Amino acid sequence: MAIRKVLIANRGEIAVRIINAAHDLGIEVVLAASQVDSNSRAGRLADRVVVLGPAPSKASYLVPELIVHAALSTSCDAIHPGYGFLSERAALPRLCDENGLIFVGPEASTIDALGNKVAARKIAQSSSVPLVRGANDVANKDSAKREAEAIGYPVLIKAASGGGGRGMFVARDPHDIDAMFDNATKEAKEAFGDGNLYLEQYIENARHIEVQIAGDGMGKAVHFGDRDCSIQRRYQKVIEEGPCSVMSAESRDSMRDAAVKLMADLSYRNVGTVEFVYDIKRDEFYFIEVNTRIQVEHPVSEQVSGFDLVKLQFAIANGDLDVIPCQTQIKIRGHAIECRINAEDPENGFRPSPGRIETWSPPSGVGVRIDSHCFSGYNVPPFYDSMIGKLIVTGANRDVAIERMAGALEKFSIDGIKTNLKMLSGVLADKRFHDNHFGTKWLEEEFLNSENKDGET
Amino acid sequence: MDKSSQHDLDSIIRLFDSSDWKEIYVKTDSLEIFISDNPESRLVTRSLIGSEEVSKSEKTIEAKSIQKEVSVDESSEVEIPDGLVAVRAPNLGTFYRRPKPESPPYTDIGDDVTETSEVCLIEVMKLFTPVKAATSGKVVDILVADGEMVEFDQPLILINPS
Repeated sequence: MAIRKVLIANRGEIAVRIINAAHDLGIEVVLAASQVDSNSRAGRLADRVVVLGPAPSKASYLVPELIVHAALSTSCDAIHPGYGFLSERAALPRLCDENGLIFVGPEASTIDALGNKVAARKIAQSSSVPLVRGANDVANKDSAKREAEAIGYPVLIKAASGGGGRGMFVARDPHDIDAMFDNATKEAKEAFGDGNLYLEQYIENARHIEVQIAGDGMGKAVHFGDRDCSIQRRYQKVIEEGPCSVMSAESRDSMRDAAVKLMADLSYRNVGTVEFVYDIKRDEFYFIEVNTRIQVEHPVSEQVSGFDLVKLQFAIANGDLDVIPCQTQIKIRGHAIECRINAEDPENGFRPSPGRIETWSPPSGVGVRIDSHCFSGYNVPPFYDSMIGKLIVTGANRDVAIERMAGALEKFSIDGIKTNLKMLSGVLADKRFHDNHFGTKWLEEEFLNSENKDGET
Repeated sequence: MDKSSQHDLDSIIRLFDSSDWKEIYVKTDSLEIFISDNPESRLVTRSLIGSEEVSKSEKTIEAKSIQKEVSVDESSEVEIPDGLVAVRAPNLGTFYRRPKPESPPYTDIGDDVTETSEVCLIEVMKLFTPVKAATSGKVVDILVADGEMVEFDQPLILINPS
């Protein structure tokens, strides 16, 4: 069955991105939006907008029943979840299955299996993917301390069902565990409805590297290269680039192979990402988790591989499996960098800065790509994520890409709200970034700290 | 410009767009509008202070943005006449007038309702939620057909408050 009409249960730049891909493929689009988003750019591009509920996502974008009802009532045959919201909740694909709708993503059972960190580690282990030393059995402080001793401090305390950096704490000694355990349990319960905790080896100066995969659901999987997403703040990615340029060729190959093998073993369907932490000193990588959705930073892989991953998602969902290229057809060329443009105020603790964008004037030029839903006059609502766009540049190598990104950031003009543009320019100009000499904590603990000190003097 | 004027303006522009007319001039209590095919054209016979003037070349964009503004203010393009109160959809779903297919409707035009009267059902994936009138008064109109999909905040039933 071919997809004729898809319901997009998302907003912002990814809704725009998916609508454009769907239209290119001749697929009609119904946008399921909250009331505040009905007049958005995605709303204007879609063939039809249906208003699910009020602005808060828990009454609109996070209600699977509303979304499936909307799809059925508007005679859609598929649902694309985008990223965030319900994209990694098995409830949505399950409801799709029960109601004869195609879910543009993996099977519900895959999402379930990989969504729990403990279960995902077991799966990775059975596919011989290297793991950071960790422990599941941390029901109380004493067992947590015992396990942390065995792993070796420092350890990371995480929510077993968590993601996105919430409910994570670094413990450097047993006292830290005493101090953090109850709070971590509480946060895990509040954020994910599951207070179970999980401990793992904490790697100082780690790099976050991930492999973009597509699978046919029948045991074939290919990769589209890797992305280095080590410039982060509070576990949120800020700058992503690809391919990673600090890895030995051997490690890179074995990391990509491990990711492909894992997803092939799972008979993974559609696109997904296997995330690793990379220890530069030891030249070793360890499995973190699998993201069972299209990711924010997918353009990095599109730019260096030349493949349109969102169109590929539709093709796979449609059963057009011959559209998935062979590994030998996927050539990684050049270097791409993505900066996430956020409506936030770096000078005031990165406080969100919603409001009306008076001027939206993005850069253009060779190797410059903008994925955004914004325009002059757009009102950034206060209810959602603060990302207002992504600036992606591509060059023959990392140096060229850095130069292009610096120039593009310089030309980007956004008035009316506060943004992180200046901070991004600062990172691009920093010697540590140029020299590739940073870990996932660098931005937060060193770059932003030194910037603040400069500001004070 | 109030909502009804925006709505009127939108309708007039669409009418003009689908016609072969060169110019149109409309004056009502709340609206005065002159639209011309010719970007140079001006209505010179009288002053047009506070009125809308749109040349055809600009018209498409103008019409689109007006239409969208209206759809943000109200999920459907239904206007609520002055003095009446609308019962609105609490979320997207299917509108039902009866508690069960074989039952009589919850309410009909001319019926008196109180704040706590249930006036319709909204169904989302087989979950039926009764909607209360929230206003005491007389039902003057039912705006949606039985079994139709409604969107969040869409006016469903009009009540003349007592």
